[in-house]
Amino acid sequence: MSLLQIKNLNVRFGDANAVPVVDGLDLSVNEGEVLAIVGESGSGKSVTMMALMGLIDAPGRITADALTFDGTNMLKLSGRQRRKVVGKDMAMVFQDPMTALNPSYTVGFQIEEVLRQHLGLRGKAARQRALELLKKVEIPGAESRLDAYPHQLSGGMSQRVAIAMAIAGEPKLLIADEPTTALDVTIQAQIMELLLNLQKEQNMALILITHDLAVVAETAKRVCVMYAGQAVEVGQVPELFDVPAHPYSEALLAAIPEHSQGAERLATLPGIVPGRYDRPEGCLLSPRCPYAQDNCRRQRPTLDPQAHSQVRCFYPLNQEVA
Amino acid sequence: MTVVLTARELTRHYEVSRGLFKGHALVRALNGVSFELEAGKTLAVVGESGCGKSTLARALTLIEEPSSGSLKIAGQEVAGANKAERKQLRKDVQMVFQSPYASLNPRQKIGDQLGEPLLINTNLSKAERREKVQAMMQQVGLRPEHYQRYPHMFSGGQRQRIALARAMMLQPKVLVADEPTSALDVSIQAQVLNLFMDLQKEFNTAYVFISHNLAVVRHVADQVLVMYLGRPAEMGPKEDIYSKPLHPYTQALLSATPTIHPDPLKPKIKIAGELPNPLNPPPGCAFHKRCPYATERCAVEEPAFRQVGTRQVACHYAEQFL
Repeated sequence: MSLLQIKNLNVRFGDANAVPVVDGLDLSVNEGEVLAIVGESGSGKSVTMMALMGLIDAPGRITADALTFDGTNMLKLSGRQRRKVVGKDMAMVFQDPMTALNPSYTVGFQIEEVLRQHLGLRGKAARQRALELLKKVEIPGAESRLDAYPHQLSGGMSQRVAIAMAIAGEPKLLIADEPTTALDVTIQAQIMELLLNLQKEQNMALILITHDLAVVAETAKRVCVMYAGQAVEVGQVPELFDVPAHPYSEALLAAIPEHSQGAERLATLPGIVPGRYDRPEGCLLSPRCPYAQDNCRRQRPTLDPQAHSQVRCFYPLNQEVA
Repeated sequence: MTVVLTARELTRHYEVSRGLFKGHALVRALNGVSFELEAGKTLAVVGESGCGKSTLARALTLIEEPSSGSLKIAGQEVAGANKAERKQLRKDVQMVFQSPYASLNPRQKIGDQLGEPLLINTNLSKAERREKVQAMMQQVGLRPEHYQRYPHMFSGGQRQRIALARAMMLQPKVLVADEPTSALDVSIQAQVLNLFMDLQKEFNTAYVFISHNLAVVRHVADQVLVMYLGRPAEMGPKEDIYSKPLHPYTQALLSATPTIHPDPLKPKIKIAGELPNPLNPPPGCAFHKRCPYATERCAVEEPAFRQVGTRQVACHYAEQFL
């Protein structure tokens, strides 16, 4: 049985007829699995996770056929019940470590707060555990760092503290929203390695939200590509990178400078992601898609299983089975 | 080919206050950077935050005076130039900034922003300026009706096109681009990079392209300069540096960069720790505390930036990696 089950999730901001920001998303995550969600800005990847954690306030509205985490229906929980789950069994690491920490409290206090709230640890026991957590995320001189304020730490260190807070409750699911985007490459490599080690050690499921396909290729087993609020392709790594079936996955891969060795120009998709006023009637990619046919412009395709992956396209690419 | 930009031992030090009763500390943000750049070529400057890339950009664009060293732009020595010569120099060097959201005036129409360099630096009439602006807008892929619009009506990619058009209005000899695509999505990044390449071909402009993304650099650069803590670590032709990096820092940087097709047999070079405090850099080689090959000599003697084969490297043991 899967740990997280999302069926037909819709998130809208405004009235019930507003353009959905997340549009009929189906997703499941098994225990101990690493899933990556990739997409460009505005594709709905962060909003999906915020909906899951109940972080969307009015005028945002969430509808779903199912939003189940570890056997609990997340839609039915009261605020008090949800706070027991979020931060403990399901935790999140955010993009910008400098703003994720409270500048007015010491690092130790903020980690102990999680331990107090979710595990009921107090005093020396909490401090001891906080120290262990800092050591676990490989912060040098952990003892002295407990009393440091966030401004005294570098970006990489702050992100380590944020990870320590996230794993304090030994979560079953860790959601990392662009955890390394704000960091330098060498630090990015260190943080990704740390996240993956923790994932294996504690057998957590990890959802990695990112726009960087190369990070996905190096870390995830399964990947979900999102475009304009829809999942357009869900498949295994590295198959999805070798034989992308959706034209958008193909275009994303082709646009990476790494792929154009020697070529003068990078392959591009013309135009930009549709906004709320120019949403096409048919397939959302149809105005930009080089393979679009007439029926692509009239009908919306659904996410269906194809040779290598699940694809939302009438004319999936690379379907020859090797 | 004509050399349009020559930097000799360019150095910029900042004095920072350490409090009321302590003396000033000296941050050596930029330490002896030398290079030559030909018209129509691209020098890419790579390094992590705090390595002095942006200080170099500020020195090259005459925003700040270097503490020592000389800079020659289009044959004109910058130090000792009189007011009229400085004005001409400023026309010859233009800049594109990282964030297209912050670098355009939100209260000015696009047409006026693009026309302003012409208004200040030329004697063209209003009609002539308008004609030139519209020609440039077409060249960067903006539509004529965009002339009357304000920056908030554009997406990030379009804004970066506007910023690039503005920098190219005076047909500068040198364009300094400081992380021009790091705020953009991959598919938009590809469009903007293509535009950079097209304009370079058209106007034969020399680019100084500052970036932390090694895949992007590999696509655009002719020469690569790798910097670490304000000092040059390695400089040479792009292909040499990517196929066989000589400086251990370059090796680590390339190894840490995630790729779409990771090679499971090739172990990643891990470098521990973070950038040392620039107020108190380690003695000897700035990199020795994180370097896997460091010896006692590295801790004592600062390596000279010397010629090794086709490139220059600041490492005592560069030959052993050849």
